[in-house]
Order: sequence, then C-alpha cells, then structure tokens
Amino acid sequence: MSKYNLPKEFDYKNVNILKQFITETGKIIPARVTGVSAQNQRKLTRYIKIARFLALLPYTDMHN
Amino acid sequence: MKKYEAVIILNPNLSPKVETFTKNFEELLNSNSFNIVKYEDVGRRQLAYSINNHNKGHYLLFNIEGDPIKLIEIENKIKYDESIIRHLFITVKKHSGEDSQLLVDSKNIKAEDEEIHNKKVEEEPEVTKPIYNTESKEVDSQEDFKEKVESEEAKSEEDKDE
Repeated sequence: MSKYNLPKEFDYKNVNILKQFITETGKIIPARVTGVSAQNQRKLTRYIKIARFLALLPYTDMHN
Repeated sequence: MKKYEAVIILNPNLSPKVETFTKNFEELLNSNSFNIVKYEDVGRRQLAYSINNHNKGHYLLFNIEGDPIKLIEIENKIKYDESIIRHLFITVKKHSGEDSQLLVDSKNIKAEDEEIHNKKVEEEPEVTKPIYNTESKEVDSQEDFKEKVESEEAKSEEDKDE
C-alpha cells in the first residue's frame, strides 16, 4: 500500500524508520507528500521531535 | 505506579565509569521506591548535533516503574549531575520486553566491525598463500626443466653410444 516501512508501533528509538520522513535538511516531510495517514503523521512528528531532543536526529543541517 | 522509559546520555569521557554511575543511579531509583524492569547499555554513539561541545554520547536506557511524585525528586537530583549531558523520562503504556532498536543497531555495528576485522585477519594469509603456490609451481617447473634437460642429455648420450 505505502512505499514506507511503517512498524506496528512507532518508537523514538527506531531512527532508521523516522529518517524516511525527514528531508536532507532535517525538516519533517508533510503528510500530503508522503501519503501517511493523519493518525500516523501525528505519531511520527511526536517521535521525531523526541528523537531530535535525544540527538538521534538533527534539527537542521546547519549544526556545528 | 506509572511506567516510564528513561534515556540518559552520559559524558563520553566517563564511559569507562559507566558501571559506577549505573549503580548510583539504581540506588537513587530504589531509594525512591522505583522498580527497574529493564536496563540497556547502548554504548557510545555519534550525536546528531554537538551538545556542550561533545560529539559523542554514551546512551543508557532504563524501563522503570514508580510514583510520579517521586520522579520529580529524581529529576531534581539528576539536573545538577554534570556527568549527564541530557536526560529524558517518558511515560509509556507498556514496556516492550524486547531489546530496543538502538541496542540492536549498536550490536549490528559492532558485529560488522568484528567481521571486517576477522576478514582482514583471514585475508592476509590468503594473499600470501597464492604467492607460495606460484613459487612452488616455479620450483616444480624448474625441476621439470632439469629433468627434461637430464633426459635430453641422457638421450643425446644414448645417441652418441649408438
């Protein structure tokens, strides 16, 4: 159905899955582009933001 | 009782002293009547951006259960611990008993490194072996050559006799 590997339960520690939904510059890709359901998009954004806080994902590509 | 996941990023320079830190932290949790369901030492990991001029961090994961009011006391103590770069407590509905993806990834990376290391060790004799083989072949061919020469000489001698 979708071209993305979506797990049953999202997790902020599963960085490889979350990486599919951020751009090269680190922005979260909108659901209208990826076609992720609204429910999943809300979960994704929540966990991407947690992963960013824990330095597992970048906020931008302008760090350092 | 609420279920929490705690992530603690330690100063990478203190990673040899992780065991003493975890002991102290577990004592702190136990003194506040917290249960530790699971503990994972993910190890040193590259940070996506530098925190306090650190580019690497030592990640520790705890699955814990306890009272929300006591958690505030724990957090107040952790705040002023300089060995901790960053910490996070998250409430979860369920503790997944499985290893987290972070730990799995770090294990895979370690295994790959070991494989590469082992391959290098294995490759070195493999590289040298063919050289020996060629040398032995050369020796063989030389011996063959000698034998041929000898046989030819013998033949020529026989010819002379005739």
